[in-house]
Amino acid sequence: MSVAEAQAAELSLERPSGLWRDAFDRFRRNPAALVGVGLLLVLIIAAVFAAQLAPHEPNQQVGPLSTNPAGPGGGFTLGLDEQGRDVLSRLLFGARLSLLVGVVSVAIGLSIGLVFGAVAGYIGGWVDTAIMRVMDLLLSVPSLLMAIGLVTLLGRGMVQIMFAVGVTTVPIFARLLRGSILGQREADYVLAARSVGVPGRRLLLGHIIPNSIAPVIVQATLTMATAIIEVAALSFLGLGPGDPSLPEWGKMMADNANRLESAAHLVLLPGFAIVISTMGLNLIGDGLREAIDPKLRS
Amino acid sequence: MALLSVEDLEVRFFTRRATIHAVNGISFDLDAGETLGVVGESGCGKSVSSLAMLGILPKTGRITRGEVRFGDRDLVKLKDADLREIRGRDIGMVFQDPMTSLNPVLKVGDQVTEVLRKHLDMDKDGARREAVAVLDRVGIPHASERVYDYPHQFSGGMRQRVMIAMAIACRPKILIADEPTTALDVTIQAQILDLLKGLVKEEGMGLILITHDLGVVAGICERTHVMYAGRFVETAPTNELFDRPRHPYTLGLLRSVPRLDASQKEKLIPIPGAPPDLSILREGCSFAPRCPYATDESRERTPMLEGIDGPMHRVACWNPVPDAEVATVASSSLEASGS
Repeated sequence: MSVAEAQAAELSLERPSGLWRDAFDRFRRNPAALVGVGLLLVLIIAAVFAAQLAPHEPNQQVGPLSTNPAGPGGGFTLGLDEQGRDVLSRLLFGARLSLLVGVVSVAIGLSIGLVFGAVAGYIGGWVDTAIMRVMDLLLSVPSLLMAIGLVTLLGRGMVQIMFAVGVTTVPIFARLLRGSILGQREADYVLAARSVGVPGRRLLLGHIIPNSIAPVIVQATLTMATAIIEVAALSFLGLGPGDPSLPEWGKMMADNANRLESAAHLVLLPGFAIVISTMGLNLIGDGLREAIDPKLRS
Repeated sequence: MALLSVEDLEVRFFTRRATIHAVNGISFDLDAGETLGVVGESGCGKSVSSLAMLGILPKTGRITRGEVRFGDRDLVKLKDADLREIRGRDIGMVFQDPMTSLNPVLKVGDQVTEVLRKHLDMDKDGARREAVAVLDRVGIPHASERVYDYPHQFSGGMRQRVMIAMAIACRPKILIADEPTTALDVTIQAQILDLLKGLVKEEGMGLILITHDLGVVAGICERTHVMYAGRFVETAPTNELFDRPRHPYTLGLLRSVPRLDASQKEKLIPIPGAPPDLSILREGCSFAPRCPYATDESRERTPMLEGIDGPMHRVACWNPVPDAEVATVASSSLEASGS
């Protein structure tokens, strides 16, 4: 190593940086991920400022009732629906619902899944076998089918839907965290921590889980996209929120599915909104995966 | 009374396929301020014995016999919670690979303070100050700033210093160092050994140094145990062991170390064959299949450690290497491989 190289190495050692900072640097240099962030920002801004951005109330009748409603352009940016409501306003308020169901259902799935995964991975033995077989069972049922079943069982409504979709994501998180923990459980630093008397609980929560959580964070982003689609799908199938006035994107599509020829914008625009938001989340998830992949760590 | 006294320790691993007889009855005493060497090839049970003493064997491993007396307590019989109090506070351990033995997502300061807060009931600030002092003690420059750095920002040698800081933070009476220099450059090795030597001298710790490197042992250990297939086959004051190895295995080890003062023609003599399969426990000396001095007795009855050339030098062998032969081979190994 030359003197210059040695100094460079020394400098890079001195630079204040952590694992997360390094990951952030890699993420920032990934153009696809940045596009994803942009799309997600659009969704978040729409959701948060729906009331300010929307020209009208989502359920306010601002035009004539019509079987052949006005398309985009004209007086209303994105046109009207058959009940004379402003489509742009409904889409903006719909962003609230989609973001909410994405976050809440993933939060439900994540918290249940993490507990199961941590217990299975750390305790092992028959506890592990029992938990993981149940998870396999859940995974073997198509998630949409299971969500349909749960909604039928629990009744219609936003809360029930979010719960149903959340439950279908439990096995994904449980399996992922368990596998990750198994990889870390026998790591040298865990042995070293045990050698200085760190107790089991602290070992799991303070040492093993922080080292196992990265792939779970990635998966959570990707699953949020799936959750948004699934909720839209449930609505489309008529199992959506009971309140017919809620501007849920999937329901907006379902309500107008038979007007695809006469008023295509009523079906295409909500579909487009779904695509934008899920694509944003997927791009972010992939970017995160590349940024914090343990194989890239040094 | 000895600080730590291990008596007939036996460790087995119970896997689905086989039972591994990893440690087959080892005994030794460690005094305060003493440095004890344990040498042997990889897989001979060196590391397993130290993990067993601390009660941190992998799940399949169990102590099946023997005791580990520390003060008036037998560590083998202690409950895990009580043992946890002793680990880190009374007995510290340093591991082989500093690159993987520190938690990558925790700042090094936090890893040292964790030990202090657990055992010494310190508050956050007190533990932080003490951690800086300990890191400074083990030779980390600018310790007060570096506590906020992550392990990957340290070099291998510096990480091993952090590891040592974790192990000695609570001023334990005993330090077990399992191949502490194996993963390091030669120059760094010397620094780390110096540090350990200094700690033993100044803090009066008892040090158990586990290594496969005879040079390391020669440099710092007063007594050395040679381990083979889960047993001690020879134990002697280090000088004596290097001057007059009496077990054929010890001799073989010394002969397979390159020496600086050897003439060009002199060849290294490797030990033929491979260590035995520990899943099968045979009668007889486990070194017999590789031993040029083996007799019928060696193959039939397991030899016990017995005094030879005085009570301090003990060897487990039915047919020890004759003194005359030893003298020509090993006399200069000590200087050659020592630091």
